Amino acid sequence: MEPQANLSPENPPIGFVTGGGLEANLQVKLTVPAQTVQEGAFVVMDSGNWRFYGLVTDLQLAAVDPNYASQLNSQRFSPRLARYLNQNTLYTNLAVMPALMLEKGPDPASPEYPAWAQNRPEKVKPITVKTVPDHHAPVKLANAGDIAEIFGKEDGKTIFRVGETREQGHAVCLDLEKFVQRSSGIFGTTGSGKSFLARMILAGLIHANNASTLIFDMHNEYGPSSTSSDTGQPVSGLKQQFQSRVRLVGLGAGTDFGALHADFQLEIAHKDITPEDILQLTQTLNLKETTAATLDALQTSFGENWFSEFMNMRGKAVEEDEEGRRRPAPDSVEAWANEAGVHVGAAESLRSKLSRLMNRPYLVNSPASNGLAEIIDSLQAGRHVILSFGRFDSELDYLLVTNLITRKIRDSWEAATNQYHKDKKVEPRPLVVVVEEAHKLLNREMASQTIFSTIAREMRKYYVTLLIIDQRPSQIYDEVMSQLGTRISGALGDEDDINAVLSGLAGRNALRGMLAKLQPKEEVLMLGWGVPMPIPIRSRRYDDKFWQELHKDGQPKFATTADYNKFLGLGDDDTD
Amino acid sequence: MSDSSHSIPIGKLLRADNSQFVAGCRVRELETPAFGSLVRASLADDTDVYGLITNISINDDGLVRQLVSGVSIPGEYTADNRYNRNLPVEIHVLTIGYQSEGQLRHQLPPRPPLSLDQLFLCGSDEVARFTSLGAGYLRHILRLTDQPIEELLVAHLSQARRVQDSLGNPEWYEDACQRLIVLLRDDYMRLTQVLDALSELE
Repeated sequence: MEPQANLSPENPPIGFVTGGGLEANLQVKLTVPAQTVQEGAFVVMDSGNWRFYGLVTDLQLAAVDPNYASQLNSQRFSPRLARYLNQNTLYTNLAVMPALMLEKGPDPASPEYPAWAQNRPEKVKPITVKTVPDHHAPVKLANAGDIAEIFGKEDGKTIFRVGETREQGHAVCLDLEKFVQRSSGIFGTTGSGKSFLARMILAGLIHANNASTLIFDMHNEYGPSSTSSDTGQPVSGLKQQFQSRVRLVGLGAGTDFGALHADFQLEIAHKDITPEDILQLTQTLNLKETTAATLDALQTSFGENWFSEFMNMRGKAVEEDEEGRRRPAPDSVEAWANEAGVHVGAAESLRSKLSRLMNRPYLVNSPASNGLAEIIDSLQAGRHVILSFGRFDSELDYLLVTNLITRKIRDSWEAATNQYHKDKKVEPRPLVVVVEEAHKLLNREMASQTIFSTIAREMRKYYVTLLIIDQRPSQIYDEVMSQLGTRISGALGDEDDINAVLSGLAGRNALRGMLAKLQPKEEVLMLGWGVPMPIPIRSRRYDDKFWQELHKDGQPKFATTADYNKFLGLGDDDTD
Repeated sequence: MSDSSHSIPIGKLLRADNSQFVAGCRVRELETPAFGSLVRASLADDTDVYGLITNISINDDGLVRQLVSGVSIPGEYTADNRYNRNLPVEIHVLTIGYQSEGQLRHQLPPRPPLSLDQLFLCGSDEVARFTSLGAGYLRHILRLTDQPIEELLVAHLSQARRVQDSLGNPEWYEDACQRLIVLLRDDYMRLTQVLDALSELE
């Protein structure tokens, strides 16, 4: 097979290699004005039979002699001589982080080419850089073909365009097949455009449909359409765009989104709550060390109905016997604790703390339908689920529900995977669990208790991965961060957050400054295992044009958000 | 041999080596040669050696010493000393190229000119021809250590620029300036002195 021809015109050289290495970056002397190149520019260097791909990580002003730079030459010499002097003595050095190299072989017209062509592999792939280009190798800005060679060419399916290079606007794509193979993260400070970026990636995932997605929508911003707080423009929700491919689930009876109705409402049966779910709330409910023993005893006594039974017990209820002595009432916590051999104080304390859960309207004894099963069935059937928390947006609700559902999912997918390994019949559908405000579930204290760190670490082999969306990556447990394959980050200001996003990656120092200087709402840095090399890009806009492009292979039901709002009987701006 | 129709004879060779030579002329012939001018010594084997006048020196002798120490010098003594004197004015020339078999080169000649070879002052056409080959010959000037090279450069570039400008080639001077900067940029002090001097030409 012939290697993919790079038909895009080559860019002119911008400089040449003067030194450096793999560890310390390559040094490139710039031969064009410094403003021609920006930090993060994707450059190529041809040397011998190889094409090297690298990233500009720094630009440094330099001079043949420091004296030329420290004096204002235009004040001493004539304008023309000063200009010549500056041109020939002052220059800019680029630091280029080499990332990949591709064997392109000798010149096709050369006598060596036939021998090389005969022995080359069928498809030449870029490999991690293992050597350096020669001195004076010309350096060029990558053209569209180079970028497609590395990041793939948009195919309307799993090779998804997420943005363009900053200098020349060449399309940069993300391989969604690879993206879902490991857990990943989307980061950025408030106002960095993180939500729009997340919407765009999620739209790509749902459109590509190579994995199911379960989105825990804590702030009700992914499912229903809304209005941009910055521009006041309507913003399409995923439900609107994907219609029946997406199931919009409201937490608790009565949760709705204006004129947009939930596909169904999720109520959780008391018997679905396990001691494990409660233990995951240790921090939020301020539970004591004795809780685990008490929960064990409850489950031993009442089986799956432990929660209802426990909640039906009375706190400090006492009654008098025939002889007038006070004793615990038979339906009291104390009576059960005595019988079960549990510390009475610990049991009463736990009962009191769990009463907060009793008040949650979505926890019911007998739900109208089995919403949990319906969610899992939908996901296994290849649909996508957005669980909107509606008015239940407290930390307690979020932790309880996400943990509970995700635990069920883990059990289902583990079982399905084990079955598949046995009979090789039905391969489990890959699933991406999308978690907002991830630091609440994956911080250092919680990570050991919640199901999510297990997913991040181990569930890849069971076809489940996480997509975490967060503004404080430094608050997420290091072990989880280091497991994230693909990281897409908007601007981050805090040094700790920047370090967290870069943890475990090569070339951290070089990328640090780049991450701090991203343009809010416009630029993001893609890095990690899921992308061939780190690259800052101007992210694709999440607007009507985006949807028209995405749906070009199949017409969307509504061409614009405004059309959809009209269908719902809403004004253009009043979509929430 | 070069077309000498516009060349002016200005002296004869006294001594020479590959990189420089000295010609002598009478005092009364001194009106034509100027510091920084392009000159040519024509050899018997049809080789022309080109150079720049780097210095013009006038030596003393016993008579001049006696006259100088006198109270007053009559005018006819001064005239006699200048026009009938046997001691030549010395014209020092830095070799910057040669022409052999019709091929002009900005390199040192294989052999220096010989004593009593005629020295000519180059006319505009020869200056144009020599300088049109590029500004690479300026490197020979930068070799000088005991001469005020910035002054020599100003004098020579002024002449060459005038000739090239008249031929509609103003970029020649720009190229020459850039070449000088590249050649001298590792020596900040020297380059800035040269540019200071060249600024006066602007």
